[in-house]
Order: sequence, then structure tokens, then C-alpha cells
Amino acid sequence: MTDLLDKLGAEHEHQQFGILDEYSKREIRRAILTAVAVPGYQVPFGSREMPVARGWGSGGLQLTLAVISPSDVIKVIDQGDDQGVNAVNLRRLIVQSTKVQETTTASDASIVQSRHRIPEDGLDEQHILILQVPVPEPLRGVERDMRELSRMHAEADYSKMWVSLYEDKVRNGVITQTTGYPCLVNDRYVIATTPIPRWDIPRLDQAPFLTLFGAGREKRIYAVPPYTTVTPLTFEDVPFEVEHTPGASCSQCGSNKTFLVEIPGPASRWVCSDTDWCERNSGKTQ
Amino acid sequence: MGYSGARGGIDAIEAAEKLVRRKRLNADCEWVSPQQIVGRFRLAVDRVMGEAGIWDEELTAIAIRQAEGDLIEAVHLLRSYKSTLPRFAYSKPTDADELQVVRRIVPAFRNPPGPQLLGRTTDYTGRLLELTSEQAGQEESMLLASLALTDDQESLEPTTSDEDTQPRRLLETLREMDLLVDRRREDDPEPFDITRTPARPPASRSARLSSMARAETGALVNQWYRNILGPDGYLHEVTLGEVRHGYLALRIEHPLTGNTISIGTVRVTEVEAIEDLNGIDEQRDRFDIGYGLCLGHNEKKAIAMANLDIACHRDAGRSQLEQSLLLTTDGLESSGFLEHLKLPHYVTFRSMVERKIAVRESKNRERSS
Repeated sequence: MTDLLDKLGAEHEHQQFGILDEYSKREIRRAILTAVAVPGYQVPFGSREMPVARGWGSGGLQLTLAVISPSDVIKVIDQGDDQGVNAVNLRRLIVQSTKVQETTTASDASIVQSRHRIPEDGLDEQHILILQVPVPEPLRGVERDMRELSRMHAEADYSKMWVSLYEDKVRNGVITQTTGYPCLVNDRYVIATTPIPRWDIPRLDQAPFLTLFGAGREKRIYAVPPYTTVTPLTFEDVPFEVEHTPGASCSQCGSNKTFLVEIPGPASRWVCSDTDWCERNSGKTQ
Repeated sequence: MGYSGARGGIDAIEAAEKLVRRKRLNADCEWVSPQQIVGRFRLAVDRVMGEAGIWDEELTAIAIRQAEGDLIEAVHLLRSYKSTLPRFAYSKPTDADELQVVRRIVPAFRNPPGPQLLGRTTDYTGRLLELTSEQAGQEESMLLASLALTDDQESLEPTTSDEDTQPRRLLETLREMDLLVDRRREDDPEPFDITRTPARPPASRSARLSSMARAETGALVNQWYRNILGPDGYLHEVTLGEVRHGYLALRIEHPLTGNTISIGTVRVTEVEAIEDLNGIDEQRDRFDIGYGLCLGHNEKKAIAMANLDIACHRDAGRSQLEQSLLLTTDGLESSGFLEHLKLPHYVTFRSMVERKIAVRESKNRERSS
């Protein structure tokens, strides 16, 4: 018995690549394959406890560690920023446990793990975008009972969602849904688009890259495969609106064609949320 | 660059880590060994082992020390350590009747079959803060050591079957009195493995029980009390039939010989809760039983679990009690998500500010038209 355990243990020693044991990675890969085969469907999986807290990117981290191989190059961002502390921590865990190359340039990466943003440029057919998802259920705002939620998805009964969007429009004059805008994927399932801004939604539609969504705490994986239709839910006569502030442009690179975040103050300024894009384009756009 | 938010990258993180390590390892007091933590904070160790779903006192003590006493953080350290280990085997089912009790009480009868064995409990001790001097405490400790009065009984390995250490269950007596609903089932379904498949309502009883066995103790106590006094009220106060603490053998199938072998014992707390049935569609001339079992000595948890088990069975999916139990009682999930609010959210917030302005402009347009 002890010999056998030692032998199994010794085999495991060589498999420490990427924190998770190999059985767990295999299970996650199977869930990913299902997610890719049924775009937008939330695949349940036996989410493992990670060395980061649940709600801090544990789902994205599991996806990254399940698909990564030694030849991959990783980019990790939080709010579009490579230097955000949680992005740094996740990148450090990934790089330390796999010894892969890291980069801040999206086009140089093969896997991009992100919280709340899609990089402004550089993602193509060879890329996998992994989004960390806090709340995978797009209908939770209109229905709490999980049994009813699974029925609604199974029957593509999204009427409550439509009613809620209609009421929003009637009460407020505009649709006030901010980030994580509900979208119909491949004309079948409604997904929660993590909290990426509305700015990023059109960039998911028919995107050449594979997007994987990982919700570690809620134990769900879903996907938007390359060249898949992603349609934000809205009415024929109510155009979908992305974030826009008239006259705002980045105080670093001058861009007004990127997702900007505000630096409040007496003279409020704007900057690109994608810091790497901004650095590469500083001095070009103006 | 150098603008906004929680930035600063690796230098800031390493500085924070250094501060934590220095203060923890170089605290201005004596070093604490894992043995001391196991010996002196046994209930904290037991609680963490139960919530982590791992039986290893020394490893748990190391986790509690590293977490500076934050028990949920200690559970996190142990669970994520477990994620790096492959699973070699599944244990064989153990009959809970084999439990070797070191404590057993039956509140339902004055003289139940078998002993009322108080064991190691402070239930009937006044909660008075002992303000004796350190010296007096240490002298008493040495005296007790010389008298060899330290818990020999608890360290005894299970030996033979005996009415005192393996008492008959009150359940059996109630069955003989024909006072119980018979819910024993003939089939033998595989237990639901919550670590491999997420449990969602409607779930099997084994999924509910294992979720509760690993739940955060405080969360389970709160679920119970919320249903007693709070807005939900799906819960009846039960009479306890059994409260047991003792040793259970752990067996696996030998991977080579195929024989069943014992690989050690775990300590568990087991509770059976008697429920008074009063529903219109229920057998009102009988009682039903709720069950709770968790790793370590943790009576609060096992009692809440047993009461919630029968409440959930009686609820039969009418309310969202089952969803609450399955989805809101894990300590890592609730505290992890709560603390994630500390992460930067300026992308989402920018989007929110933009919508506030859009609503305002829409109202202005309405007014001016």
C-alpha cells in the first residue's frame, strides 16, 4: 500500500505543472468542449478551490491552467490594466506554476486572461480570451429560483428578461443596464457578458477568437466560439448604446476610439482603460 | 504611467507580503507550534477540518497559524492545497452504528437505552472568565499531569463493541414503539460527490447532507435561526434523539488485493433530530428524523444540520430552503465574493456613471419637449 501510494505520489510530483492535478484539468477541458459545442450554455463543473479566493478570478484561473501548455504566452489584465494588483497576482501564479512566457501585448500572447475588459486590439484566430465571471446567470435579476432558471434556459423562455428591459426603458427613458449586458449567443442562449462594458459587446460578435467564461464560485463554464453571433438584447426601435462621453479623449494618447475611464478632479481627465494599447499608441493618434 | 486605482504591480504586492510575514513570524512573543494549536485550540482545529473536508490535525494547525487565526482563511488554505492532490481512492461506506462514543446525550428521555454520557463538555459550567494567574494555571497543569488525569479516554483507540461505547440508538427504540415514519430505502444509490459536481436544486439528500457537513458553521447556525425567528420560517424546533461525539473507522478497498482495509479513524459529531409531523399530508401519528454528521467535535453544526435536513425533506421543494442550503452556506464562496468588492471596479463604475448621465439627459429631453 505504502509503495503504491509512494509510486502514485511520485508520478504526481512530475505533474505539478499548473497547480491543478491532471484529473481536474481533464474534467475542466471536457466542460470546455461541451461549452464550445453548445455556445452560451452554462456547463456545470466541479470547480476546485484555488490559491485565490472565490470571486477573485478562480474560475478564469482554472480555465487558463486547464488549457495552457509550456509553449503558450500569457497576458493577464484587470480593468484593462496589466499592472492591476490582482492581475499581477494571477499572472505570477500562472507563470510560477507553468514557467510560460508572459507579455503585455495582446497580439504576442496566445492566452489572455481578463477581468472586465476585452483588449482593444490584437486578438485573432490563434488567441483564447478567458474572462473571469462573477455572476454567470444573466436572468438572476428577474428570477431567483434555480429550478425555474434552468427551465427558462431550456425552453429559451426569455420573456421576463424582455419585460424587464421594456420596463427599464419606460421608467428611465433609456435602458440602464450598465456592464455585463445580456446577449443572445448563436440565436439560442442568453448569457451574462461578465461585467465587460457595453463598449466590448460588439467586439464579441463574430469575433475571430475563442472566448471562454469561467465562474469558479458558481461552478459554471460557458463559451463564445470563433465567428459566433452575439446579439445584445434590445428592441428594434431602441438602438443598443455603448459608453460614450461627448468630447472625451485619452489625456495620454489622445484616443477617442477606445474605452475611456475618468480621473475625477477639478479638471477631470480621461485615460484609456487598456493601458498597453495606450502605451503603444501614445504619440501616434495625435 | 502611474495613474489611478490599485496599481503598482509586483513591488506593492511583495511589500505587503513582507509586512504580513514579518509581523506573523517575528511577533513579539513565543513561537507557537502546531502541537500547541492542536492541544489547546482543539475546537477551532475540529471546526476547520470539518469545513475544509480534510482530516489532518497537524496540517490544520499549520493552516490556522498561517491564517493568523482567521478560520475561514485556514479552510481556504487547506481546500486549495487539496486541489493539488490527485484522488487515490474512495472510502467504503461505514455504518454509523460503529461509532465509538466519547460523549452521548439523549434529551428525549430521562433513561434512554444506553448511557447518558456527558464527556468533555462545558454545557453545564458557568461561563466565568478564569482570571487566575498564569503561574497558578501552570501549577495546576503540572499537578494534573502528575495525576495522569489528562483525557486518557479520548485517546483510546476503538476496541471492542460494548453497550457503553456503542450504545443502541434511540431511533431503534422509537421504531419498536412504532412511532416513526419508515423512510429506509432498499436501493443503495451512490452518494453525490459535491467536490466533483455542483449540487443544484432539486438535489439528492446526500448532496444536501454533504453540503451542510462542509458548510461554514456560522452560516449553518444562521440558516437555522433565520428559519426559527427570521422571515423564512420553514423550520420546526426539533427534539434531539441523539447527540454523539466519537470515533469512526475509515476503510478503503486495497488497490492490489481488493480486500477492505482500515486506514485509520476520524472523530465525528452525529445528531439525530426527532420531528413532530403536523402537516395535512403527513403521518401525524408518527415522528420523522433529521440527520446531521460532521467531522470533528462541532455540536452546533451537527444539530443545525439535522434540523435543516428534516426541514428540507418536509419542505419538498415548496420553498427555496434547499437552494439556500446548497448555495449560500459555503464559507469560501460567501467570504470570497464579499471580499472581491475590494478589487478595482472602475470599468463597471465608469459604465454606471455614463448611464446615470444618460437617464438625466433623457429626463431633460422629456421636460423640454
